[in-house]
Amino acid sequence: MHAVEETPRLSTFLSQIANGLVLGSLIALIALGYTMVYGIITLINFAHGEIFMVGAYGGLATLTYILPTAIATTWYFALPIALVAGALVAMLIAVAMERFAYRPLRNAPRLAPLITALGVSVALQEAMRVFYPGATAALPFPNLFVEGAVVIPIGDGVVIRYVGILLVVMSLVLAFGLERFIERTRLGRAMRATSQDRDVARLMGIDPDRVIVLTFAIGGALAGVAGVLYGSYLNNINIDMGFQNGIFAFTAAVLGGIGNIRGAVVGGLMIGLVKALAGQYMPGGTAYDYVWIFVVLIAVLVFRPQGFFGESERVRA
Amino acid sequence: MSENPQTADGAVPDPGAEVTESVTEAPPEEVTAELADDMHVATGTREPILVSSGVTMQFGGLRALNDVNLSLHEGEIIGLIGPNGAGKTTFFNCLTGLYTPTSGQVVLRGKPMPQDPARVTEAGVARTFQNIRLFPSMTATENVLVGRHVRMKQGPLSSLLHGPRFRRSEAEAAERAEKLLAFVGLTRFSEELARNLPYGDQRRLEIARALATDPSVLLLDEPTAGMNAQETEATRQLIFAIRDLGVSVVVIEHDTKFIFTLCDRVLVLVQGELLVEGSPDEVRGDPRVVEAYLGAPPEEVSAQLQTGGATVGNGTAEGKSE
Amino acid sequence: MTATATPRTPATPAAMPRHTGRFAGLLDVAAPRSTVLMIVGGVLTLVGAYLPWATFVLNEGPYPEKATLNFFVAPFGVTGFRLHLVILGLAAIVVAALRRIPARHRIVRGLGIGVTVVALINGLWITVEGGGLGAITASEGSIAFGSIVALVGGLVTVLGASAGGLERKPVWTWKLPWWVEWVLLVVLFVIVLLLVAAVLTSGGQGGVVNPYAGVVFLSLLAALGGAFAALNASGLLTWVSVVSERHRTFSVIVLLIVALLLPLTSAGTEYWMTVASNIGVYAATAIGLNIVVGLAGLLDLGYVAFLGIGAFVAANLSGAAASQIGIHLPFVLVMIISSVVAGMFGAIVGSPTLRVRGDYLAIVTLAFGEIFVRSAQNNIGGLTGGANAIPNIPAVGVGDFKFSDSIMIGSLRLPSGVLYYFLIVLLVAGVMLVFAHLKYSRLGRAWIAIREDEDAARAMGIRTGPIKILAFLIGAMLAGLAGAFFAHKTAVVAYDSFRFLESVTLLAAVILGGMGTIPGAVLGASILFVLPEKLREFSDYRLLLFGLALVLIMRFRPQGIVPDRHRKAELTDPDVEDVAKEGPGPLPTRVEP
Repeated sequence: MHAVEETPRLSTFLSQIANGLVLGSLIALIALGYTMVYGIITLINFAHGEIFMVGAYGGLATLTYILPTAIATTWYFALPIALVAGALVAMLIAVAMERFAYRPLRNAPRLAPLITALGVSVALQEAMRVFYPGATAALPFPNLFVEGAVVIPIGDGVVIRYVGILLVVMSLVLAFGLERFIERTRLGRAMRATSQDRDVARLMGIDPDRVIVLTFAIGGALAGVAGVLYGSYLNNINIDMGFQNGIFAFTAAVLGGIGNIRGAVVGGLMIGLVKALAGQYMPGGTAYDYVWIFVVLIAVLVFRPQGFFGESERVRA
Repeated sequence: MSENPQTADGAVPDPGAEVTESVTEAPPEEVTAELADDMHVATGTREPILVSSGVTMQFGGLRALNDVNLSLHEGEIIGLIGPNGAGKTTFFNCLTGLYTPTSGQVVLRGKPMPQDPARVTEAGVARTFQNIRLFPSMTATENVLVGRHVRMKQGPLSSLLHGPRFRRSEAEAAERAEKLLAFVGLTRFSEELARNLPYGDQRRLEIARALATDPSVLLLDEPTAGMNAQETEATRQLIFAIRDLGVSVVVIEHDTKFIFTLCDRVLVLVQGELLVEGSPDEVRGDPRVVEAYLGAPPEEVSAQLQTGGATVGNGTAEGKSE
Repeated sequence: MTATATPRTPATPAAMPRHTGRFAGLLDVAAPRSTVLMIVGGVLTLVGAYLPWATFVLNEGPYPEKATLNFFVAPFGVTGFRLHLVILGLAAIVVAALRRIPARHRIVRGLGIGVTVVALINGLWITVEGGGLGAITASEGSIAFGSIVALVGGLVTVLGASAGGLERKPVWTWKLPWWVEWVLLVVLFVIVLLLVAAVLTSGGQGGVVNPYAGVVFLSLLAALGGAFAALNASGLLTWVSVVSERHRTFSVIVLLIVALLLPLTSAGTEYWMTVASNIGVYAATAIGLNIVVGLAGLLDLGYVAFLGIGAFVAANLSGAAASQIGIHLPFVLVMIISSVVAGMFGAIVGSPTLRVRGDYLAIVTLAFGEIFVRSAQNNIGGLTGGANAIPNIPAVGVGDFKFSDSIMIGSLRLPSGVLYYFLIVLLVAGVMLVFAHLKYSRLGRAWIAIREDEDAARAMGIRTGPIKILAFLIGAMLAGLAGAFFAHKTAVVAYDSFRFLESVTLLAAVILGGMGTIPGAVLGASILFVLPEKLREFSDYRLLLFGLALVLIMRFRPQGIVPDRHRKAELTDPDVEDVAKEGPGPLPTRVEP
């Protein structure tokens, strides 16, 4: 009797954990871009969420307008092509944004780039709404991976779709690769040097502008990949998805300690779990899951602004 | 209609372009007398007003200050010298509540020093900063008026209503600001933005702003850094005048000649420890100072110290480390 | 009559200015003939204005009437944008010919730019409407070179003026007897009133009914802009502002009266009263935000929530059927309660400022704003009506008399909504007074000091924590006041009016107008809320343009239209950062002890 009641509860709980991890790894992918950009030029790039959105539309456009149907419906062709296309479109937009909107303000007071970021965010979202055919409403997005799901036989069964597993694996692999890149390669070292002190890095022969562009490009590409995976997992995309998930991602980046790759991943996963579990168990249900994330954000900023993995206080000359 | 040429730049002085010379004369005596009346900080006590006993400051594994004792009497000018990284600015920060000492205490007029810069200022200790920290986009007058903040009584409501009491207190503050600017010789720049003032005048404005809080103790962190000989001399005169206001002064400085000709007493801080304390003559002659100070052959340095020509270290290096 | 002024650099043809930049060569060639070029440009403008502009017959509507596109019907009685061109062109010729006018090149350049933009706007529009370049050149036997000639005229004027060397703005020191200055100010303010009314009503209401509204409005704006630039170049505007500063109280009173007279002008219709009231609501809110952002330097990205809180509180106390609390309080009391409640929330939202600085604070405020919207959307506690909103909020009224009624004064009938307009004018005036009084007080100086250098402010004895929270509290109270008005005026309060985008718009209004200044916030709010109203035919692109405009403003005029003397330097000169940087620091995560 007792056990019968327990197992469905347990399965619900585990299902929400699984949902949370999938959503969380998606947010982690976006958060990487936030955390890198903030780490290097201390700019909260509000438009980064829109880059993610643009990536999703880039992938969809490739599938709808460029690829022949035969290829677009064969997952092992469509998936890599869409991912690359999404990443490229997002990367291009991110680099253009850096070049034309942020770079001229490199030495301006901090308010100016922040407002510019807001402007870019609004403009990108609206440009997509106005110019992408049918973007005024949510657009269907095909699942680009094998249909079906793993079912763990606990209680009513915990269903994890294959595409969800793909999402988690890809996020972890990309984040790991990024960390290796930053730690091991010459360019990665240049990035770290630039984030420590741009002027000194310049003296060491590093061109900060190139490093910053690289940062935007990598962050953009990751967001583009996240966009395509998002569409593939949720099977529809809309122009609002960028702002929402962008804020989640920023929260994740702060949670993990801004500038910290591993922190961003853990932060993303935590946000995903908070959203999934709060939607299930907190009063108000899914209508308020959003609110709990913001509560977490405020609490972290107020009580532990350096995040869970950040250095306690970085002092710069 | 008569012609009265008036040019666009004639009305407003453009100090950045036209005036590079800072004030070099001492404050006029009548201004000093009036100000001393207004500020009314001297009490005539014989007791030391500021006492630090056993102040120790530990940053992780680094002991920046070790058991530093100081007692400041009313109307006294104390100099604090030492090589770069000796802990002078750290000591200032302990005195002004920016840092809480790891052990030891600071006592002002018998009461423990509050651990909050705002309250420290309220209690009567004002400071200037090694790297000038004015409010760059406020005028000189406004900067000084901000200094009056703690001595003004207007609350939000009276600010809102602008009643007669508000206007009286504003008028008083404005008058005081005017006197203080005259005192430091910046009357002609009263309506100029602080960021447009020549460098030396920015330092003087910072002093005026600190004096606006009616301090009984004024802490000056390298007041002559980056100044030429004339400006340095003017600063010396200014500090004497400040003492005449009844304000006790502690000065950090690298320029030993400046310190030895200014101060009643000199403290030498080396690696966080108080090495020597005494009159300028005693300190000047002390071989330990010479040795610890520069680590150079004592005779040479000693000669330099004797003539008062040595300028130790440079301000900019330490300024950046903060 | 005490004195007059002369320009700093009298027109000395001997000293030809050297030009640099992209057009240096062209300007050097044009320099010796600058006066001739300016006059030629003016003449071309006149000719262009009198030539036909379109080779086709435009649709009916106010545009053809106003613009008299048919040259031969009324050869000399041009109206609309062609009249503006005639005026600008004549002015350019006269100023160019009178060598004794100081800064005449700069004045003429302003006029020329006005002509160019007016010709460009109308020419482009006719081209688009007529389906190709044929519409403004020759087609099917009719010719219409008006726009091209006027455009060339404008460009030649600008070329001549720029080539002649731009003088410094002269400074005038006239001091007239006080009563003359008073009369002058009254006349000027009335002219401003008429201009505002003309701008508001130009082209009529926008939208489907009137496809010409946008272009007529833009054209008028361009013409006024040209005239304004010319006046500014002459130094007269500066002089006027000095005079009005000399009679400050008088100016404020006259301005208030003049604002109250708007219903008597052509803008005195219900529609424009409503638009003006909405502008007022956002202007009042923007001034509140200006305290937080402009004075104290604390970026708030969720500010519109306070307007929302005020509106929802008022809606619930209004006796509306959908309200949870079934009581109906007098409006004045409702306003006070709304304001206090909003202020309390302001203090809560502001409390993280004790520990969080800079960008992170912006994010905290954004999070609070989102929590508010989400909660309102989900009808939290039944207080917000959720997706159904709170409809049918009764109008403010005493007994049977409603504020939404039209009123009769003698035989003069004022449109409905006029009382709300009066109310909001007084409200905005009150809010401005609050802002001005606070700015020039111990509190205002403390806010600015915190903005400039928080650590130094603390060293000056300012207890930064409470003072920062006070900024949030007072700002939120002002927004709450506006919210109470908003609820009654629009009669419906829905969560949808208080989204993130509205916060960004408010922030944009503050920045566009000029941070820390009083006219700035009002001007910014007016621009941002009048433009979409007038340009409905572009409504699809509204937000896109808004976003791009934000980027461009930050790039090219970050100090706004009316720069604060204090702020100006800070936002334009990167050097200041070196000093200011000490405050927030690169990583604004510092937890204060």
